[in-house]
Amino acid sequence: MNKKRFGMYVTGIALLAIFPIAVHNPYYIHLAETILIYAILLFGLDIVVGYTGEVSLGHAGLFGIGSYTAGIFFFKFGVPYVLLVVAASIGVTAIFGALLALPALRVTGPYLAMVTLAFGTICQILINEMTFLTEGPLGIKVPKPSLLGHKLNELEYFYFVAILMVLALIAVNRILRSHLGRAFQALRDSPVACDCMGVSVYRYKVYAFVISAALAGLAGSLYTYSEEYISPNTYNFELTILFLLAVIMGGRKTRSGPLLGALIVVTLPSLLSDISLFRGIATAAAVIGVVLAAVLLAKKQKTLREVVVPVVSVIGMAVFSYYLQNIVDWRLTIFGCMTLFVVYYLQDGIVGYLRGAADKLWPRRVAADAIGTSGDASRTWAPPAKAVDGSGNLLEANNILMQFGGLKALNAVDLHVAKGAIHGLIGPNGSGKSTMMNVLTGIYRPTDGTVTFNGRSIVGNTPSQIALAGIARTFQNVQLFGEMTATENVLVGLHHTFRSTLFDILFNTRRYREEERAAQERAAGILQFVGLADLALEEARNLPYGKQRLLEIGRALGLDPSLMLLDEPAAGLTAPDIKELIEIIRKIRDHGITIILIEHHMDVVMTISDIVTVLDFGQKIAEERPALVQSDPKVIEAYLGGSADDTTLDAAHA
Amino acid sequence: MLSISNLHAAYGKVEVLHGISLEVPKGKVVTLIGSNGAGKTTTMRAISGMIKPVSGTVMLGGKDITGLDSHRISRAGLAHSPEGRRVFSTMTVNDNLLLGAFPRLTRSRPKGDVNGDLEKAMELFPRLKERRTQLAGTLSGGEQQMLAMARAVMLNPDVILLDEPSMGLAPILVEEVFRIIRNLKERGVTMLLVEQFAAAALKVADHGYVLENGRIAVSGPAEKLRDDPAVKAAYLGG
Repeated sequence: MNKKRFGMYVTGIALLAIFPIAVHNPYYIHLAETILIYAILLFGLDIVVGYTGEVSLGHAGLFGIGSYTAGIFFFKFGVPYVLLVVAASIGVTAIFGALLALPALRVTGPYLAMVTLAFGTICQILINEMTFLTEGPLGIKVPKPSLLGHKLNELEYFYFVAILMVLALIAVNRILRSHLGRAFQALRDSPVACDCMGVSVYRYKVYAFVISAALAGLAGSLYTYSEEYISPNTYNFELTILFLLAVIMGGRKTRSGPLLGALIVVTLPSLLSDISLFRGIATAAAVIGVVLAAVLLAKKQKTLREVVVPVVSVIGMAVFSYYLQNIVDWRLTIFGCMTLFVVYYLQDGIVGYLRGAADKLWPRRVAADAIGTSGDASRTWAPPAKAVDGSGNLLEANNILMQFGGLKALNAVDLHVAKGAIHGLIGPNGSGKSTMMNVLTGIYRPTDGTVTFNGRSIVGNTPSQIALAGIARTFQNVQLFGEMTATENVLVGLHHTFRSTLFDILFNTRRYREEERAAQERAAGILQFVGLADLALEEARNLPYGKQRLLEIGRALGLDPSLMLLDEPAAGLTAPDIKELIEIIRKIRDHGITIILIEHHMDVVMTISDIVTVLDFGQKIAEERPALVQSDPKVIEAYLGGSADDTTLDAAHA
Repeated sequence: MLSISNLHAAYGKVEVLHGISLEVPKGKVVTLIGSNGAGKTTTMRAISGMIKPVSGTVMLGGKDITGLDSHRISRAGLAHSPEGRRVFSTMTVNDNLLLGAFPRLTRSRPKGDVNGDLEKAMELFPRLKERRTQLAGTLSGGEQQMLAMARAVMLNPDVILLDEPSMGLAPILVEEVFRIIRNLKERGVTMLLVEQFAAAALKVADHGYVLENGRIAVSGPAEKLRDDPAVKAAYLGG
């Protein structure tokens, strides 16, 4: 599979090597150098924007910190060694990245965007004001560096940048392919589920920002040597927007996207300064637009209404280009319009769009690949052997009080779960079952009461600590990592099996390779176990509802839990699927995993539970064996209604 | 009233519906049954415009609504009570219901007596009456389901799509949901119903379609399907 990819790499590197020889013009070489430098930063920005899903408006600030660290190290401290200077820039900027990440732990979305915006502005102001260090508005002059005693000329410096860009590309690729990259994506799609899989949202957000900042630092220091002069007003708000635009236009969650984005934002403004070139481009765009629209209309893939706006606008642009005499005044306006166009019509970016189009022409054979993967999962899942020390209670929750304002969602509830049991938990909607789940998994901290698990108190522990201690859960409203494949979802559950550090990932050490292979094998086994082997490479959001519920169970199994909380696993399942589910739950129990089961399907609860607890209005009204619960008049009145054992048919009689 | 022919739909590259044809006559209740992943919810979503069908036609009362945006379809008189409720959780029960009547209030549908219908809805769903001014997000799961159904009724639609109305509800509430569906049926409301409790759905419905892997496998009058041994074995759990 990697042959094509390898070929792409080789071609890319060859192009980089040939470019300055083929193009003698130093202006174009410098332009290309700037593109490479921006690309390094954009790889990092994409980690934050594309993977963790946060918007950072502070990256121009980080870029500035990187630049000025290099400038100051050379200018003030007179450090001549370029590699040392670059390393210092990376280090200092990474520290600032961690600083920027601190608010990200409290706020997300637009609020975080505002905070990062403030950070970027403060950086620029400080660079301007701290004249004793930065020379303020005067700027700093830095000549091209020397490497190993040899002073680099323009051409050699281009190669230096190109090599670092390729190294950054490889590093980012390795990080994003590893369990780190999966953690970043997971916390974007569902932070709650991420925590409950033992992957601390808190910690990985900081990691993402630090890695992203380190790349910004690298780019910044290279930029200093490239320009040979830096001044504060380079690192302004416009630059930040330009960076963001490049990632979005190019296409997030790819490496080629940022490269393409950098190419566009760097070259387009200068290309637009030439009127005849602009006329040529506008005419070509109009012709392509009209032809494309005609084809789509003929194939009935789009309606006339959908294509009229883009077609009119490209034609308008072409007409306008001939009407224009002087392009310079209009450059930014045109650039803005084109950007708007791309962002509106190509929401996955240019690379995303091209990939989509390519997939339509040559459909990827996902199914065939998936069968290949499941082939080596001849062994199905089995939990690692654990010493089950006799009987007794695995979990004891005593006197739990959970108060929201004046409402007591749980009032003095005791829940004792015996080792190896399937413990049913039922009650009317709103009776406190899900609240209980959230208390047990650390999402809520109870107002009062104690929870001990395996003899240790877990009140006040974070969800990820509790998950790592051995309590896994599924969610009532499915919380999968939607943009990740089924396999990747399970791999997030297996995150705890990795001991590899960033170093292992970057250098692809033997330890990392072995851990990754072991995790892949176990993931395949788990998917086999829950019956999803043939859907291993399908994105979770594309799975049908019932399969999503099974995948949640699989992901939870990845944690090697000793206790598993299933929150309405049969909701929305039809009779045959329910039979399959019951089998799976039984098998999980037979592997020695204790289960708490919240469920409204009485046929499920009553057939597999050893004991059933009934909640009503936050209080326990019964706790008995299934048969006794079903005939308990209190339970019938509050919950079961009519006849207990066959609700499905009686619902229609009543 | 609602007539679907040869409907194909896909998520991305994966085609999920391979040519569905079905009829929902005026005043009747029709149910779609099938295992998970057969395409029931996708059919609903393709009808109400939440996903665009690849090909095929959807006719509502003689008008072609295929591929229209979902807000236009709801103006044309089709209400969708979606899987998983989807109430407007930061608004009151009353406001949720009025939003259900939004096309009527903006006169893109005949207005009629919105306030009168609001009171009627409260009668039909007595649990909501007690909670009129409460925020929808603070309702229990059962009450939210009632609200989602009541909101659909408030459009005064020609057809209601009910997707898994009893999902995640306590048995006692499942009974109530079915009581309400029967109640609506008596009032002459046309419905297309997808239900996890297939047996109960076939009791309330006039006609049923069995979906298998994105195709209609069997169809017929509901009581006939109920006695069909193959359907019984595969979908009714016995």
